[in-house]
Formats: sequence, C-alpha cells, structure tokens
Amino acid sequence: MTCRAVRRRLSGWLDGDLEAAQARALSAHLERCAACARRAAELRAVSGLLADLPRLEAVDPVEAPVALRLELAGGARRPGLAVLFRGVAAARPFIFPSLVPAACVLLLGVAALLALDPGPLPEVRLAPGAAWSVVPASGTEANPLFPSAEVLLPQQLAAVSLPPEMLAGKGEDSFFLETVVARDGSVAGVTLLEGDTGAGQPLVEALRQQRFEPVRYRGRRVAVSVYRLISRMEVRPPRT
Amino acid sequence: MRAGSVSKWFEGDGGRSVATSEMSLDAGSLAGRLPEGELVASCRTGDALAFAQLVRLHEGMVVSLSARLLGDPEEARDVAQEVFLQVYKRLGAFEGRSSLKTWIYRIAVNQCHNRRRFWHRRRRDRELPIDERVLAPLAALERRGGESPYHETLRRERARIVQAALLELRFEHRTVLVLREVEGLTCEEVASALGVAEGTVKSRLSRAREAMRRRLATLLEGEVAS
Repeated sequence: MTCRAVRRRLSGWLDGDLEAAQARALSAHLERCAACARRAAELRAVSGLLADLPRLEAVDPVEAPVALRLELAGGARRPGLAVLFRGVAAARPFIFPSLVPAACVLLLGVAALLALDPGPLPEVRLAPGAAWSVVPASGTEANPLFPSAEVLLPQQLAAVSLPPEMLAGKGEDSFFLETVVARDGSVAGVTLLEGDTGAGQPLVEALRQQRFEPVRYRGRRVAVSVYRLISRMEVRPPRT
Repeated sequence: MRAGSVSKWFEGDGGRSVATSEMSLDAGSLAGRLPEGELVASCRTGDALAFAQLVRLHEGMVVSLSARLLGDPEEARDVAQEVFLQVYKRLGAFEGRSSLKTWIYRIAVNQCHNRRRFWHRRRRDRELPIDERVLAPLAALERRGGESPYHETLRRERARIVQAALLELRFEHRTVLVLREVEGLTCEEVASALGVAEGTVKSRLSRAREAMRRRLATLLEGEVAS
C-alpha cells in the first residue's frame, strides 16, 4: 500500500470503517513509514482536541422565549392585517371595534370629496341647424391674418373722404371697426364693433369703398384684418 | 404556577387571557420523563408540559451545536429559539424514521446554515476580527468544572484555538466535524441529520480532518510529542 493510498484511508481507519484486510495492510504500513504514522497520530489528536471541546450552554434558557414566541405566533397579538387573511371563525370580536374609527374616517373622506365635487360640466348645445365645420384656410377672407412683423399693414391706394353728416354732428363720438382687406386689395367687409350703429352706418359704407395694395405673406396674397378707432372730438379755441 | 394556565397556552385562542409572564413552563416539576414516542405523541396533541420537557431535553445540544457552528452565542440563542419553533410547527410531519434527536439536529443545522447565509449576504461576518467576535463570548458559555486555574486556563486556550480553526473551515466540513467529533454522533446519524449519503459524510469527514490538521499544526506538535 502506497503512502498516498494510506493517507486517503486514514480517516476511515480511525473510525474503524475499513475491512479487516485493508486495516491490517494499513497498520503494517504505519509501522514501516514514520511520516504516515505521524500523520495518523496528528489526525487522532485532531479528533481528541475536538472531542475535548466543552459542551456549551446558554446563559439563559431558551424555554421561556420559545413559550412567549409561540404565544405571540398563535395567540392574540397577531397583526391587524391578519384579519383579512383568516377564516371568519378565527376572527376575534375585539379587533372589530378598532376598525370602526377607521371606517368612520374613510366615510368622512368620501363624503367630503362628494361635497366638494362641483358636478358635471355644462352640456354643449349647438344652435338648431348648426353643424361642426372645417375652419377655413388661413389668409382667406373667411379667416384673415392679423398685421404682424411678417404681415404688413395694407397700404391705402386712395384716401376716403368721411361722410359730411359725421362732420356736421355735435358732441364726441367714437367708432371701433374691423375692416377685412381681401386678397385683391378690395374690402371684403366692414364690421362696426363698438359705437352707435345708426351714426356709424355712413362711415361703414364709406370704408367699404376703400382700395388697398394687396398684402403678401411668404409670396402669396393674403386677406388681412385691420382694426381702427375713429373718434370725433370738438376742439375749442383757448379763451384769451 | 398554575398548571391549568400553562396547558391553555398552546391551545391558541383559549389561552388568550393568560398573561405572558405566566407562560414560563416548569417541566422539571413533572413526576417523570416520558419516553420519546409518548413525548412526541403528547406534543402533537398540544400538551404544553410535554413540549416543555422536549425543549429542556434538547435545549443544551441545540445551543451547543449552534454556537459551535456559528461562533456567536447570541446568534446561537436566537437560532435555538427558531429551532424549537420549527420543531413545534413540524412535529406533525415527524415520521419517526430517525430518532427525535437526529431530527432536531437536522432542523438546527438547516437553521444555522440559513442564518449564516443571511449574515453572509449582509457581510456582517467580515466586520470584526474573529477572536473578538467569537471566542470571548463562547468561553462564557462553557461549563465550569472543578479544575485548577492553571488547567482551566490551559484548556480554555486550547479550546479557543480549536474553535478558531473550526470556524475557518467550510460550513459543510465544520458541520460534519462538530456532529461527529464534538456531539459524538455516528456517521449514519450524521448522514441522517444532514440528509446526505453516509459515503458523503465519510468523504467530508476525511477532508475536514485533514483541513483541521493543517490549521492546528503548531498545537499538534505539542500534542503528538506528548
């Protein structure tokens, strides 16, 4: 038996697990080989040192803590959520009183939310015969552009004389009007936005006669909406 | 202590009104020890006194094994509690194919393994030097015999070195060594406690002894020479 084979079997030999023939061969080897004999003695000493280790004992017995933990695990102090996961028969009446305040708070919260709710938004009603339509193209007479850095104010080709009845009146009047200048420079429409309708009608008629230089935006002619405020005021010479 | 209040404790709902301070069990007051089969049968019926006897019978071995495997007396005490809680819960599944002691050993080894992995994941086992962490508290747990101070110091020092070497081994090797050499189980019992084949135990035992021999080389020089 080689040293390697002996060392592989030393543990079993110490435990008495080897067959008789193997044990005899191993013992014979140990008598001849000092290194293997020393290895066997060291392994036996290891077992002895381990066997001599004292039995450890707890300073405090674990019996009482185990009893307490079993009581907690199976007794009255289960977590509140456990009530949701156990059978009806296991439910304990003293848990439910603690749920009552929680239910009240929940109901109050829901009631407050309902009270603060302003209700549904007003229903949108279309006028009889009206229908949803497509917005007209931008820059056309139906959807004119407004003057801006890129859309210049339309230049008037000829001045319009104000109607004489406006000049004959007394007092102070003002009219706020919208003029839509069409793509060909004509006036597509004049709307009196603010002012006396009767007094302003001749003014509207006069403004409809205006002609403008067509306005261009990015190379194409566009309709432009122009707002103007026309006021008449009485000016008196200063008293000397 | 009233025996009636104790017996209610394990019945669950019926014992709610009993204060927890009254729950410590006095198994020593039993007139006699029950045989293992009867003890297990009584525990299964919810007999608190029988379970208290079971805890008392095996408490020492569970604490000692856990302390040797984990090297931390506080952890060992926690693990021992867990072990007996598991015993209580799983006693219904105990089939009696092995002895009750071996079955409890198996639960204890599994609990120690789980606890070790738990702390290993949190790197706690690397925080303190091994001597400071383990050996002083373990010495406090040892039984005190009638030795002279010199021999007691010598024995403690030797035990300190052996325990430190033990804790350096892989957990599987440490487990078979403690069960076989310290607790004195046979290879068959160790195999049953670990849930592995007997051949595996012998193989691990051989490697573990060799690993210990290398780690204890200095100490062994004196042991072998003497």
